Order: sequence, then C-alpha cells, then structure tokens
Amino acid sequence: MSHLVPYPKLRPKKLMLSKHYFLTAALGAIVVLGNSNLAVAQTMGPNGEAATPSSALTLTDAEVAKLKEGKYSAALVWHTSSDFISAVTAGTIHEFDRAGIKVVATTDAGFDSARQLSDVETVMAKSPSVILALPLDPIGSAKAFQAAKEKGVKLVFLSNVPAGYRQGVDYVSVVTDDLFQMGKQAADALAKSLLNQGKVAWIFHDAQYYVTNQRDNAFRRTIENDYKDMSIVASQGISDPARAEDVAHALLTKNPDLDGIYVTWAEPAEGVLAALRSAGNTKVKIVTLDLSEPIALDMARGGNVTAIVADQAFELGRAMAIAAGYGLLGKNAPAFTVAPALTITRENLAEGYRESLNREPPQSVLDALQANQAPSRGGH
Amino acid sequence: MSTAPALSLRNLHKSFGGIVAVENLSLDVSRGEIVALVGDNGAGKSTVVKIIAGIHQPSSGEMRLGGELVHFINASQSQAKGVQVVYQDLALAESQPVYMNLFLAREKTKGWFGKLDRAGMIAETEELMRELNVRIPSAKSTVRKLSGGQRQAVAIARATHWATNLVLMDEPTAALGVTETCKVEDIIAGLKERNLAILIVSHSLDQVFRLSDHICVLRRGKQIGVRQTKQTDKNEIVSMITGLKASSRRPMTNDK
Amino acid sequence: MSVHSTFRRIPVVGQLEPSTYVVYVGFLLIFAVFAVLLRDQGFLTVSNLLNIVQETTPVTVMAIGMVFVLSAGEIDLSIGSVVAIAALLAAVVMRAHNWTLGVAAGLGAGALVGLINGALVVYARLPSFLVTLATMGLLAGVARWMTNLQSVPVIDTTFTNLFGSGSLFGIPSLVIWTALAGFLGHYVYRETRFGARVLATGDNPHAARAAGIKVDRLRLKVLILGSTCAALAGLLYLGRIQGARYTLGETDLLTVIAAAVVGGTRIDGGTGTVLGALIGSLLMGMLNNGLILTGLAVSEQMMVRGFIILVAIALTLREPHRAP
Repeated sequence: MSHLVPYPKLRPKKLMLSKHYFLTAALGAIVVLGNSNLAVAQTMGPNGEAATPSSALTLTDAEVAKLKEGKYSAALVWHTSSDFISAVTAGTIHEFDRAGIKVVATTDAGFDSARQLSDVETVMAKSPSVILALPLDPIGSAKAFQAAKEKGVKLVFLSNVPAGYRQGVDYVSVVTDDLFQMGKQAADALAKSLLNQGKVAWIFHDAQYYVTNQRDNAFRRTIENDYKDMSIVASQGISDPARAEDVAHALLTKNPDLDGIYVTWAEPAEGVLAALRSAGNTKVKIVTLDLSEPIALDMARGGNVTAIVADQAFELGRAMAIAAGYGLLGKNAPAFTVAPALTITRENLAEGYRESLNREPPQSVLDALQANQAPSRGGH
Repeated sequence: MSTAPALSLRNLHKSFGGIVAVENLSLDVSRGEIVALVGDNGAGKSTVVKIIAGIHQPSSGEMRLGGELVHFINASQSQAKGVQVVYQDLALAESQPVYMNLFLAREKTKGWFGKLDRAGMIAETEELMRELNVRIPSAKSTVRKLSGGQRQAVAIARATHWATNLVLMDEPTAALGVTETCKVEDIIAGLKERNLAILIVSHSLDQVFRLSDHICVLRRGKQIGVRQTKQTDKNEIVSMITGLKASSRRPMTNDK
Repeated sequence: MSVHSTFRRIPVVGQLEPSTYVVYVGFLLIFAVFAVLLRDQGFLTVSNLLNIVQETTPVTVMAIGMVFVLSAGEIDLSIGSVVAIAALLAAVVMRAHNWTLGVAAGLGAGALVGLINGALVVYARLPSFLVTLATMGLLAGVARWMTNLQSVPVIDTTFTNLFGSGSLFGIPSLVIWTALAGFLGHYVYRETRFGARVLATGDNPHAARAAGIKVDRLRLKVLILGSTCAALAGLLYLGRIQGARYTLGETDLLTVIAAAVVGGTRIDGGTGTVLGALIGSLLMGMLNNGLILTGLAVSEQMMVRGFIILVAIALTLREPHRAP
C-alpha cells in the first residue's frame, strides 16, 4: 500500500492562518499551476524548506559511541503495514542497532487518526527518547503527537508534518524521497521507452499535498522542457485511488491514440492497468511511482508498465534514524531530508526491489521474469 | 346481567374467500366451567379460537362477553376485555425468568423513574404459583430451565392471572408426557375456582372427559352438537366427530 | 456436594451464568498477566491506565448502544460510517456557528440514520443485517463526499474540554463519559420497562407481540438509540483529536461487536449485559495497550490479540442454544 496520505485542502478564510500555511498554499498554487517563471527545479519541504540529500546525514564514530552511552530507546508509530513500511523499519533498525538505540514499541494505526493518537499515548508509557512516525493527516496528528512533543521526545517525521509544528523546536526533521527527481526520472523513463516522441496523458493527484504535487509537476515540467517531440494531450486529476479505473476508461475513450500514461502512484496505476486490460490495449506505456506487486508483475511480463520510479525505503529509514541521532546529540539537523529516487525497468527489477525495499521480489515477479526472458515488444 | 354466560357465541359464521371455515356456531361458556372444543383436523377449532381472541373477525354472527356485545378487530381488544389465550407454542421468552414472563408487557414499576419493581413481581408470582399449586424451583428460574409441563403451567398461570373473563387453551398438554399431563390437568381443574370461564381445544378425548363440563363437537366447520360431559360417552363423541355410526360389535379403544 | 452446586450457593456471584462472568475473569486475568509481565514497562502507571480508559470511551459508548440493538434481535453495521458523518457534520457546523449547534447537528444526524435504518427494517420488512450493510456503504460514500476527503479541525475549547480533552476535578472527561454511559446504559437496560421489553422482543418477538408489546416501535427505537450512540462516539473522537476525518470509526465495527459479545451479549438477541460490554471494551483496549508495550511486532500483536478474543468468545458462547 502506498505511503501517501493527502494533505487537506486549505480554506484560508476559515482556518486559523499561520505563516506556514500561507506559504504552502502559495507555493502549492504556483506549483500546481505550473508557472515556469518561478520554476521549482529543486524539491522543497512542506513549508518551503530546501532539501538536503540523505547521504549528507552521517554520524562519526565518536557520536555513535556517545549515543551508545545514552542507552536511548525509540518507538515506531506507523500509519499502516506494508512492504514500504517494513523496508523503512529495516533501515531504521540498521542504524539504531549501530547506535545502541533499542526499538521498544511498534504500532500500526490502520489509517485511523484516533488510533494514531492512542498509539502515541500508549508508547509514551515506555518513555521512548525518540519517536519515528508518519503522521496520518496534519490536522488530526497535531493533537496526536502533542503528548510526545510536550515531554521533549525527539520526533522525526516521514512525509507529513503535524499542523503548526516547528522544525528544530517540536520536531527534528522531516524525511521524504527526492520528490523532484521522482517525477523527472519518471518522465525520462517514459520518454526513453517512447523514443522521445508521442502523446502522453498525465494522471496527477488532485489534492494539495506537497509530496505528490511536486512529483507530478516535476514529470510535467520535464516533458514540457526537455522533450519537444512529446506532448501532454490529456490531464486528469484523481483524489480517490479506487476511482482510477473509471477515470482511465474515460481518458482512453477521449484519447484513443495515446502512447503513454503517467500515473501519480502505484495504487491508482493498478486501476489504470485494469482499464487498459479490459480495453484490450497493449500499446500504451505506463510509468508510475512506488513498487507494487501487480505493477511489477505486469512489467516483468512485458506488459504496459514500462518503468517504475521508486523511493529508497531502506534509505529513508536510515535517514530517519540518523536524524533522530542528531536530535539526541543536540546536533543541528537539516529541516528537510530527501533520499534519492530509483528508476526501475524490467532489466533491474530484481535489484530495484532489493535497493528500494530491502527484500527479494515476490515469487510471482521472479517467475514472470524467468518466463519472459526477452521483452515482448520494442521500446527499450 | 350477572347470570349471563362469560362467553356467548350465536350463529357465528366465518369464511375465507370461498371457503367456509366455521358455519353457524352457537356456544355458551359460563364462569367456573370448562368447555371442550373437539373435532378432527380441519374442523375449524383453531379458527374459532382466533375469532374469540380477536385475531380474525367473524363474517357474521354475534359474540357476547358477560352479556355485552363485542366485536374485536385485533388481539389487544380482546385482551382488554378480559380474554387471555394460551397458544400451543406458549409464547414465553425463554431467557427471561418466570416472573418477567408473567408480567410481560405489564411490568410493575415503582418510584418516579419507572424503576422495575422486581421484588413486587417476584412476590406476586410466588403467590400465584402457590394458589395454582404450580411447582417450579423459583419465580426467578429462567424459563429455559423448566420442563415442558412447568412451562405449560407458567403459560396457564399467566393467562389466568390477567384474564377477567375467559381463558382459551389450545392443546394444553399435547407435547407433554403422562406425569406432566396429570399435573397440568390438576392446575386446569383448579382454575374453575377462580370464577373464570375456560375453553379448551383438545385432541385427547380422555382429557376432555376428565376435565370438561360440556363438549362442543365440530366437523368440517359445522357444529354437530353440544353435550353435557356427564351425560355422554366416548363412542357418541367419536361418532359425532367422524360422522360414522360406531359399530356395536367393535368397542372403541382408548385413544391418547 | 459438587463444585458446581457449591459455587451456586455463593450469594449473587453464584447465580451468574458463565457467559456473564467470563469477561470479568478474562479482564482480571489479562490485567494480572500484563501487570506482572510489563511491570517495568509503564503498564501500571496511572497515566497509562487512564489512557486505556480514554482510548476506549468511544467504542464503549457504541458497544453499550449495540447491546440494546443486539438484545432486541437486530444488528447495526453502519455505526462506523455514522461516527465519521456525525464528527464531520459537527465540526463543520461548529466552525460556522457554535459548539452546541454542532453537537445537536451531530447527534441529530445519528438519530436520523437510525430512523432510516429502522424504517427500512420495520416498514419494508428487511432484515437489519442487510439494511445496515447497505447503509454502511452508502454512508461511507456520504462521509467522503461531505468535505471532499478533507479533514476539518476544531478549535472550540469548550467543546474539546467537554468531549474529550478536558477534565473535571482532575478526572479526565472521557473517564467521566465512560462512567456515565455505563451507569445510564445499565439502568435503562436492567431497571426500566423499555429494557425488559427489548430483551423480550429479542428473545421471542411473537410472544412479545402477543403480550401486547409494540414490537415494531421498539425495533425502531433501538436502532435510533444505537445510531445516536455512534454519533456521540463521533463527537468524543472529535473532542479528542480535535479534528474530523472521513476515516473516523471505519475500523471500529468489529471491535464494538466483539466487546458486546465477549461481554456476554448474544448476537441473536434475548440476553445481554451493558456492564459486560463496558468491561469487554476495556479488555480490548487493555489488550491493544499491553501488546504494544510488550514490544512485539505489529503482525505478532495482531495474532495474539485475535487468539485471545477467539478464546474469550468461545468461552462466552458455551450457553446451549435455545429451542426453536
């Protein structure tokens, strides 16, 4: 399941405004409108922070030793269970083990904000020094992490930041994948498979959420700026992945001569794939973000999916853990840390799984790779 | 009109569409007496019971309770006029204790907040059981724990307690063994002292002859006749039920 | 003198049916196990124990409502969606007007859903399982549509203090809500005519009707009650997390039913206990809390929890089925 959880649509008139909301709204508006005058070619944080690559986060041996002395503990407060979360967890444990930080509790809120609040309260009983979490929704999670914030627990967040929380004061850092690169590399991969020409549909995330907004727009900008013989002939926003199949049907009907489709993340991409299958369309190429078994399987079989751009979940976990270390040591952590994006095609599908999710590909994917040694059609 | 019978039916007629279920029935049941309604299957006995209970309305004819002309359009109206029915399935709530069943829909409350007066209901139940000589472990026993005969006794006790005119019983001991049938029949016999009129539908002629004062025989909806129990015998009743003259050479065997 | 008959002689406790006391024994047992196992992990601290009560309050309120519904021989599968709708509606109304209007709107929405469910059951003569299964889906869509998937924050401090985040004389308001729900629910269930008739209707609807109970009216009332409890739970969630989201309550249905059933209420009606449901809800919450504190991975927590609930339900349901 995707690790994406959308941001709320802000209504400046009704909500209590803070400078941060305004900035995000403004930036969001700019980004969504694709205004190239203020072209953002760099990934930016939820409050407009500049990105620091995760590779810049390191701990010296002395620092590691100091952490070991502290005998710290950590709690992982997740929003769901998935391959992605398992990989992030593996990354965090890898680093925590080095620094002698013990993971004392793991929770799964099942996408329920109230549950996330309960989870935080419960793990607080074990007095962790550090909490790593993916806050479910900025509004609901503000209250959820309050207890931890007030007790001075070091908080490191994945993707989302609770409303009103200040970096360096309330939380150490927010970590996510390199959003701009994710979108750009998707564009590059699709272009390559279409030999740099053709008509493309852009299925983006129709909500104000800096993670998907930046990825989606990076794709769009790359096609527009770098590939003159390609054009985006159709744009369609979706907010509920369950509706993706219907949306794709409509898109295909309106644009029968599409060459490629970009889908904002894997879950709706599965719906788009289903729509293509039921239309009997084997020609259109799909590129999407995040590994998922049905998508990877289709790619292994030489189907519509031509490339998947994945974040490095293990690396995200590693970065979160090191950021936590910074917080414990009182070291200045970067506000917004990003892990690199990984383009995965049929050729490096197996390594892609290992690098991104720190696991072997599912058996079905391995079998499909074996069975379909040569790609069934050109384009690569 | 204190001498009027508790229940009086005159020329009762009921048809469902083209089918005549009951034809020209006239019957009196007085307080302190037990009348048995007998007949083969399809004779119309249960239709008669349902008409008296208010579930069906007669197509024509009169019904009087204590001399007063009545016309019921639903079961609640007949209950309001003091008629209680003990159905074959007993209509008891099995998970509830005996006293709650007795006071079903008529719970006693006390105080301003309408709090249930369990102690009061239990006491009243115990007294009723004593009066009727019903043997159950406790008024608080759950109905599910009681034997078939005990359950029947509870259902009869309930009907008796709330009836002011007439108690109708449909096959009261059909599902019981010999010992229990005996006990229940004692209870039924004892009801006569409570100044109620009792009408029993029964397949068992032995029971009818043990308990009733009058027997009304139906056959295919027609009333064949009413006999005083003491002045008739099984052979006559059987021949009225079946419509066949009993052969003098073959004595009737006892039926259950 | 057997153990069984000796047990029966103990006043009060001796008359309890196994289904009634399994939940209390289970609760004490699990509490004892966690108290010993997790003594250094913060399980027994006052704040942790209070957390357990606060976390379970919305489910407790819904479980108590569900006890009435189940006892009458019905079921309401739509409560999860009602939670979200009531919370969202209350939050939106509160933002534009004041909190009392918001509360009224939220509770009103719950009552309305109950009325609709009840009308379909009573007048269209459809089984409540199917009706509420359908309305569950319909209302889930409504919850998403209401604010177009957006969350709605709540900033009215009077509301949040009363409904989830405040305290009275040092006792957290949610603890008071739990106590109130338990007390009121128990009283109505055990000490009023309404409660007695709910049980009779669930036990034998024909008997109830023959005795003169207005069975249809009662079914309607009970479904309205269940939905209104779900709406109240939505308000409590709203007060606690200070924001409404369309996913609120989505995963609560099974926990609510489990709490009621483990507590001793039968799914087919006729028998039940409000206090048992309250303890059942606390038991679930304690289980979640304790399992997290053991440090087990999420998948392990789920397996252990599922196993314990299975055992509890098996023990609770050893009553013989009633005769048809």
